[in-house]
Amino acid sequence: MAEFSWLSRSPLEHVLVVGAHGARDVAPGISLTEVRNFDLIQVMARRGKGAELANAAKVRFGMAAPDLPKAVSASDVTLIWSGPDQFLVLSKSGKHTIDILSQAFSQSASLSDQSHARALISVSGAKARAMLAKLSSLDLHPAAFPIYAAAATSIDHTSVNLWRGDDRPDGQAVFNLLVFASFAESLWHTMLDSAAEYGVDIGYSGELG
Amino acid sequence: MRIVCPFCGERELGEFTCLGDAKPLRPAAGASEDEVFDYVYLRDNIAGEASEHWYHGGGCRAWLKITRNTLTHEISSVEPAAGVGARQVAK
Repeated sequence: MAEFSWLSRSPLEHVLVVGAHGARDVAPGISLTEVRNFDLIQVMARRGKGAELANAAKVRFGMAAPDLPKAVSASDVTLIWSGPDQFLVLSKSGKHTIDILSQAFSQSASLSDQSHARALISVSGAKARAMLAKLSSLDLHPAAFPIYAAAATSIDHTSVNLWRGDDRPDGQAVFNLLVFASFAESLWHTMLDSAAEYGVDIGYSGELG
Repeated sequence: MRIVCPFCGERELGEFTCLGDAKPLRPAAGASEDEVFDYVYLRDNIAGEASEHWYHGGGCRAWLKITRNTLTHEISSVEPAAGVGARQVAK
């Protein structure tokens, strides 16, 4: 029997070129960072089990799962609202994998492992909002989209989960984007084109922001 | 045109798909052929307030029931359709 080797690779591995992109005569206005190697589980309440899921989530994570378009964070996990009675569990280092969570939510929710099905892109920098404004119809002004605001929306006709994380140490806002792996390359090119005029600093990271 | 999704807030039309008339109700099993024909094919062409199902496919993927004036596009109500999220389907 043939031996298979399952390597997990980033969906952006072939298109992400670390370094500078676009305008060179200015300080980069945009940082684009891909985050690799995360655990991502979609949790959806079963019919009539919304309250049970909320209780189970409180027990499991020590905080209420978001029931509005928001993200909530603890030291080792971020819960991101993705629709009515459903949320995404984003974590690192195998602390909240599907095996572990399916025990916790066996009575209340259906789970689906999205760890290798999405790409996670973090957008920040002085021109981040100007660049995202070309792609998204959402109002991302700090008053309308504060830290930990989240949205399930479409960018460039592609479904994304967008949320604002903690600001960078220099005070710049950070916008996180989860996109389907098969659309990641297309969205990446669109974002590079939109960001080029501001100067882009491209990188990747193994750490959640 | 913008639609205020009860879950996501105000969003552009491009995130939504219109399914059509929300009024027809599935006939009971054993209904006559005429009743099934009506349910599947016949629609009123309303000039005024219409009740419609819309799908927020570019957002939270919830089905919505929207009251829209077909003459002005004014939307007077948006509510989750029966069975959205973990809700029980209304009997």
